[in-house]
This record gives sequence, C-alpha cells and structure tokens, in this order.
Amino acid sequence: MSISPTSQNRLAQSFIQRTAPMDQEALLKIVVACMVALPLIVFVLYPLIHILGKSIQTPEGIGLGNYYSVLGNRRFLGLVYNSFEVTLVTTALAVVLAYVFAYGIQRTKVPVKNLFRLIALIPLFAPSLVQAQGLLLLLGRNGLVNRTLATDFSIYGYWGIVISSVLYVFPYAFLIFSASLAMADNRLYESSRILGAGPWRTFLTVTLPSTRFATMASIFVVFTLVITDFGNPMVIGGDYNVLATEVYNQVIGQANFELGTVIGMVLLLPVALAVAAEKMFNRNNQIQLADHAQPMAIMPHKLRDVLFTVYTVSVSLCILAVVGIVIFASFTHLWPYRMNFSLRHYAFDVQNGIQPLWNSMYVGLMASGIGVVAAGLGAYVTERFKTFLDSPLYFLCLVPAAVPGMVLGLGYILAFNNPSNPVHAIYGSLLLIAICNVYYYHAQGFLIASTSMKQISSNYDEASATLGGTFARTIRKVTLPMMWPTLLGVAVFFFMRSMVTLSAVIFLITPSSQVAAVSVLLLEDRGAVNQAAAFSVCIMGMVVASLIIARLILNYFGYRNISLIR
Amino acid sequence: MNKLSSFMICLAFAVAFNMGGWCSNTLAGEITVYTSYEEDEAAAFLAAFNEDNPDIRVNLLRLSTGDLHARMLAERANPRHDVIWGWAVTNMVDPRIMEMLEPYEPKGIEKVPARFRDPENRWFAKTGYMAAFCVNNEILTRRNLPMPASWEDLLRPEFKGEVVMPNPASSGTGYLMIASLLQMKGEEKGWEYLEKLDSNIAQYIKSGSRPCNAASAGEFAVGASFALRAIKNIEEGFPITMIIPAEGAGNELEATGLMKSSRNKEEAKRFIDWTLSENAVNEYYKWKEIVTVDGGTMPKSFIEAGLPKDIGSVMVEMDFSWSAANRDRILEEWQSRLER
Repeated sequence: MSISPTSQNRLAQSFIQRTAPMDQEALLKIVVACMVALPLIVFVLYPLIHILGKSIQTPEGIGLGNYYSVLGNRRFLGLVYNSFEVTLVTTALAVVLAYVFAYGIQRTKVPVKNLFRLIALIPLFAPSLVQAQGLLLLLGRNGLVNRTLATDFSIYGYWGIVISSVLYVFPYAFLIFSASLAMADNRLYESSRILGAGPWRTFLTVTLPSTRFATMASIFVVFTLVITDFGNPMVIGGDYNVLATEVYNQVIGQANFELGTVIGMVLLLPVALAVAAEKMFNRNNQIQLADHAQPMAIMPHKLRDVLFTVYTVSVSLCILAVVGIVIFASFTHLWPYRMNFSLRHYAFDVQNGIQPLWNSMYVGLMASGIGVVAAGLGAYVTERFKTFLDSPLYFLCLVPAAVPGMVLGLGYILAFNNPSNPVHAIYGSLLLIAICNVYYYHAQGFLIASTSMKQISSNYDEASATLGGTFARTIRKVTLPMMWPTLLGVAVFFFMRSMVTLSAVIFLITPSSQVAAVSVLLLEDRGAVNQAAAFSVCIMGMVVASLIIARLILNYFGYRNISLIR
Repeated sequence: MNKLSSFMICLAFAVAFNMGGWCSNTLAGEITVYTSYEEDEAAAFLAAFNEDNPDIRVNLLRLSTGDLHARMLAERANPRHDVIWGWAVTNMVDPRIMEMLEPYEPKGIEKVPARFRDPENRWFAKTGYMAAFCVNNEILTRRNLPMPASWEDLLRPEFKGEVVMPNPASSGTGYLMIASLLQMKGEEKGWEYLEKLDSNIAQYIKSGSRPCNAASAGEFAVGASFALRAIKNIEEGFPITMIIPAEGAGNELEATGLMKSSRNKEEAKRFIDWTLSENAVNEYYKWKEIVTVDGGTMPKSFIEAGLPKDIGSVMVEMDFSWSAANRDRILEEWQSRLER
C-alpha cells in the first residue's frame, strides 16, 4: 500500500487516455482489479511460498529432511494427538453450547435478549488468552473456588485448555447460529404444527435441517480457531503441549525456523481442508427465504422459556465470571492475599510502560483504514465488475481464511526480513503489523462488505453507467453513500481484531513495536498476573470504546440496525 | 452528505497521520540491546541509564537466556543488536557467540576482578544470580507440609505435584540448577537425582522467574527459582520464604559484550562504559544478589529475606567452562529423559 489508491487511479487514467474511449472503462477495471490482487499476492501468497521454501530447505540442499525429522519424532506425534484431542472436544462442546444459546435468543421468549446477546459476545473484546487468565484466577490451585471451598483440584492441562478454548470461540459460533436461526419462514412451522408434529419433532425435521449449513460453518470456524490458538494453552496448559505452542516455542524461543515452518505447514493442512470443506458445503447455501416468507411468530411456552432462561443465564454467568474476575484482580492490591482496592497495577512500571497500548491503538487504526479500502475495493470489484478476473479474484480474497495466523506471521519474517525485499523498509514497524492483521482477517472483512454489496441492487450502478457515469463516479455518488455504514462496520471489525489478536503479530513485534496483546502474554508468561490482567482490561476498554463511538456515529446518521460486532 | 464527507475526510487524515508517523523506526543515537535481565530490573537499570544519557535511545529485547542463545545463533549472519547485556557467562563463552564479539576495554574495567572477565576483553561480568526456592508458607500450613531445606528434601513424597522448576532449555536459571546438581553429585548420581525429582515436579516452566511467582500466588508449594525473585516477592508482601538449598546454591554470572557487527559502535560503547559507572553499580546493589564490583552495600530487604551477608559461603563453586562445554549434551539428555 505504498502508493495511495487515488494516485494509482490517476496513473491509470492518464494511461488510459491514450487508448480508445470504448476500452477505457474495461481497461480501468482491469487495472483496479490488479490493484486489489497485487497486495493479496504480496502479503498473502508470497509469504506462504517462503514458508514452503524454508520447510524444504535443509543443510544438504532441498529435500524433505525437515519433514522426516519432525514427522518421525515421537514427541511431535504426541503433540499432534494433543492438538486434535483438544480441538475436537472443544469444537463439539462449543458448537452445541452456542447452538442452544442462539436458539434461546432467537426462538424462545427469554427475557432481556439484547443483554444476553451482548454478554455472549464479550470474549471477542478481549485478548484470546483472557479466558485462561480468568480461569486460573477462578479455578487455579489457589484460585477463588479452591480457596473458598477448601478444595484442591487443578485446572492445568487438558481440561483447562478445553474450557478456556470453549469460552474463547463461543461468540464466533454464536454469531453464526444466531444469524441462521433469525431467518425462518413461519409457514413451515405452522404446517408442521397443523400436521401434528410436537416441538421436538418440529425441531428435528424443520429447524435442524435449515441450520445445517450454519452448523457446518461454525464447526469449521471453531476448529480453525482452536487448533491455531496458542495463547490459552500457553497460560493454562502446564506441561500439556499442543502444536501451536510448539511453533511458538520453536520459533520465538529457539529460533528454529525450519522446524517452525514444518509444523506450520502441518497446521495449514487441516485448516485449509476445513475452509475448503466449508466453502463446498456452503456453495449451495443460498437458502434465501422465499419471497412470501412470513416472519416467525414465537408463542410463549412456559416450561421451554423457563428452561432456556436458566440456560442462558448460566452460560452468561460463566462468561461474566471469567472476564469479571480478571477485571477484579487487576484492581486488587495483591491477588489473592490482600484483596483491597488498588490502582497500582495500572502504573505499568514494566519495560516500555504503557507504550504497547498506544502501539495497539495505532495498529488498530491503520488496520481499519487499510482494511476498509482493501476489503471494500475487493468486494466492489468482484461484485460489480463483470470481467474475467472475477472468480480468481474472489478466490484470492478468501485465501487468507485458510492461513493460520502464526503461519502468516512466520511467513512475514521469512519473506520480508531481507534487505533486498522492498517491503523490508517497513519491517519491524507498526505499519507492517497492521498490514499483517488486515490480510490475516481479509476474508471475513471481505465477506461482510460483499454481502452488503449484494444487498444493494446493481440496478443503481447500471443506471449510473447508462447515464454516462464512469465507475469511479458511480462509486463516489452511488455506492459509497449507500455502503458507508457497512464499511464503518468493516473498519470496526478490523480495529477490534487488531487489538486482541496474538497469533500473527507475535512474530513481528520488535523491542520498539510491542503491542498490548503480546504484553499480556509476556507478563502472564513470567507470572506477573495482576499486571497482565490490567493490560487485558485496558485492551477491553479500548475495544468497547471504539464500539460505542462507532455506534454513536451510526445512530447520529440514523442507521440503527447495522450490526457492528462480527 | 456533508456531515458524511467531513467525517470521511477526518478519518482519512487520522489514518494518514498515523501511517506517516510510524513508517520509520530508526533515530540517531539509538541502539538495540539484547538482555536476559529480568524485566523489572532491566527497566530500573535503563531508567538510570537514560538519566545519565538522555540522548541515546535503547531498544531492549528481553528473552530467557536459552531463548536468546538460540536467537543469536539464528541471526548470526545478520545480527540485529549492538550490545549483549547481562547474559549468562555459560552461554557467552560458546565459541560461536564469542566470535561475534568485539574486544573492548570499557572505562573502569579494572574494578571488575580478573576472574570475572575474558582475558581478551570480549566480555566482563558485573552481576550474577543464584538459585533459591520460593516456598509458600500458607500452602505449607494448609497442606501440613514441612519446610524444605535442601534439594534432597524436595524428594519427599508429600511434595508430589507441589514443586515447579524452570525448563533448562529455555531458562538460564533452569540450566544452572541442573548444571550445579550434576557438578555437585557427579553426572551419574546427578541424573539419578533428577529422575527421582521428576516424579514430584508438577510443571517445568519456560521462565526462571515464573516458578517463584507461581509459588507466591499459591498455585504450588515450592518454586525453584532465583534469590532476587524471592526477595522481591517477599517485599511485595507475598507469604513466602526464601530457602537457599543446603547443598549450596548454583549460580551464574551475567556478562556484557559489544557486537562486532554493531553499526552504532560509539553509542554502544557509551552504553557499555555506563554499565560500570558509579550510578550503575549502585543500581546493581539494589537489584542483584551477586555484584562483582565493589561499591554499595546489600539492601536491608535482602538480609531480612534471609540472604547471608557473605553470600560466598552458600554458593557452589561453579565450573562455568564445564557448564558451557557440556551444555548441548546435557540439554539433549534432559530433553530425551525428562522433557514432557
């Protein structure tokens, strides 16, 4: 993104003026399409190629030696087993729990739904390892529960990772199910009732089939998140190691890039398969509601409503307890011995002080700026330009979804920490971290923008084109005014994720470009629990503040029904 | 529409402003320093340095001893730092590291006794640390455990699952413990002991300070760590006791050296000179249990925590060259026998 889009446009236009006027528009479209494609190639594909290259590079030349030595290692096979054991169980638990929760919100008469919805999304506002942090304070050997009940159980290891991971991925699955369960054609349920089916049978024959794609999607999303997460296992795993923590230890700790890349490639495989499978399942998932669909009418049903209320309240309490205790601990004098109120952990008398928080904010702002342009333009080009580049470009925009964050970050080190690469000029800077975040989350940002683009009828564009408007004019006069609330949502999305993400940036920070989420990990890793908690609380505060600001802007302009949290 | 475009322009400005400010990350008078000093002590030393030298900005990368070793070897072709500061002598004397260092005789080097520096002036050690246990008093009472006094005591069955110690592959403290035990007991007996101890160990933790912090938090009864962490945590108010193992405390010296590859040699040398200045030495006495340079006195809190005035009397006479020469072999053996 060294050349701004406008100057590239101007460049393109001056170039085009020399060609025939008829081709101008088509050529310009291709130029813009390339503008979208080029950064994706540089910042996604190119680093991936480097990973592949490094993984087959051995002292004896090119070969599979690294793979043999890793795959033949008993310890490594144990790690693979651990990773799958954690991931599969977490996925099953999280998907079921989130489904029931979303069902409660969308299909029953649970009170204060908006509150529960908000609580379910809280884990999105915090660095991923906050769950493990909170769980230790709550259920650690000297946690609140063991202390008050005088019990003595240990949460370290397998179950610690599973529980914290379930909490971590819960909102992702919930969002998918919630969107899916919100769509319903009342006539189907009406017919089912008239045909004499009970609620359970209706659920099995009508509801469940209509949410099968959402189920698939959330399984894959959750699977990907868990198998590549290393924040929670690092904090609560004890000696229970998984692939993701091993990549971290090998690369950050031992600077063993070859081994790191091999494990990275091994991680890439299941994730890529998961994403490919999800896309395949969802290809035919255009269950748009029929035109005459009637909105769902939810009848009160005492027993059901009470049961679901109990359930949503309990899940909400779990989420609140884990996050709440982190906030609480950050304000205590000396957890868990002197529980009186103290602000001393907010003095941040650690190396670099509070700078990482500002760094995070700058990264978040830059990522939201770049992300809006990248994802918005990508969506516009693939939705509106009818050129031969459409489908390869669409594919390219979605590729990042299949790349685990740590693999992408590792690829950045290998590709750009090289003085002969032009990108090296920004290596080690916050800008590169921001770019890395943008391309790590590109697929989701792109999908948000492109879904909204689909909803705006292309008739406007055609009308504008017929009236002689160039596409640049159409964007400015037609598309942007209709799209900007969505784009603001995309900006918030990139900001939020940049504030809390660990996986990709962990490899890119330098002494002068530390970000806050990484500070939390480092503080937690050396046992400074209260200070780590204080950092987490500040991150959450910034994310919530950004959401409130965006919400106020939207409300001010009268867009009340744009959802900001994705 | 007007409101909207002004908002968009503001947003664009905000983004552009930030990009401009954060594209470049180098300044004049800036050096990069790698260290294994604890984060809080490094921060205190740096604050003192910046008071004396406000014109030099120090970018500090703090990593565990073993991790820093691996990183320096990996970056050997193109080192990114100017100074290696406060880093285990055992790792420093690795020939692959030594050849990256430039001989330099800082101002005041005569204050450092000859046995604490390289004859060719590639490194000198002005501080050090020694092994100690952090024992949580509350847990001892609650679980009715005896106060351990030695490594041998940690083998008692009632400590099963109550002891945490650092992973020697990444932590310098972890390695000095293993090395001192092997040196004291001889290799065969030493490994036998470590195998037995392993059944009582709850976790091998990557960092040398976290075991003490975990014991302080009450997660485990005993954290094998180093003396300073114990002292600082007692100061903080944690209910712990510092125990210096009766067999003698393994110890390690922290050395400093100048990188041949440094592109800011002048500033780097000023930094190294400062590390032997009076202000620096005064800071060391506030933070380190072992200081090789005469100067300040041991703070009261150290003595109250149970550190003897003559710490030489509790320290194991370490053979650093043995520790260094056998490091790879010992770690490999440790990883194959005991790593989880």
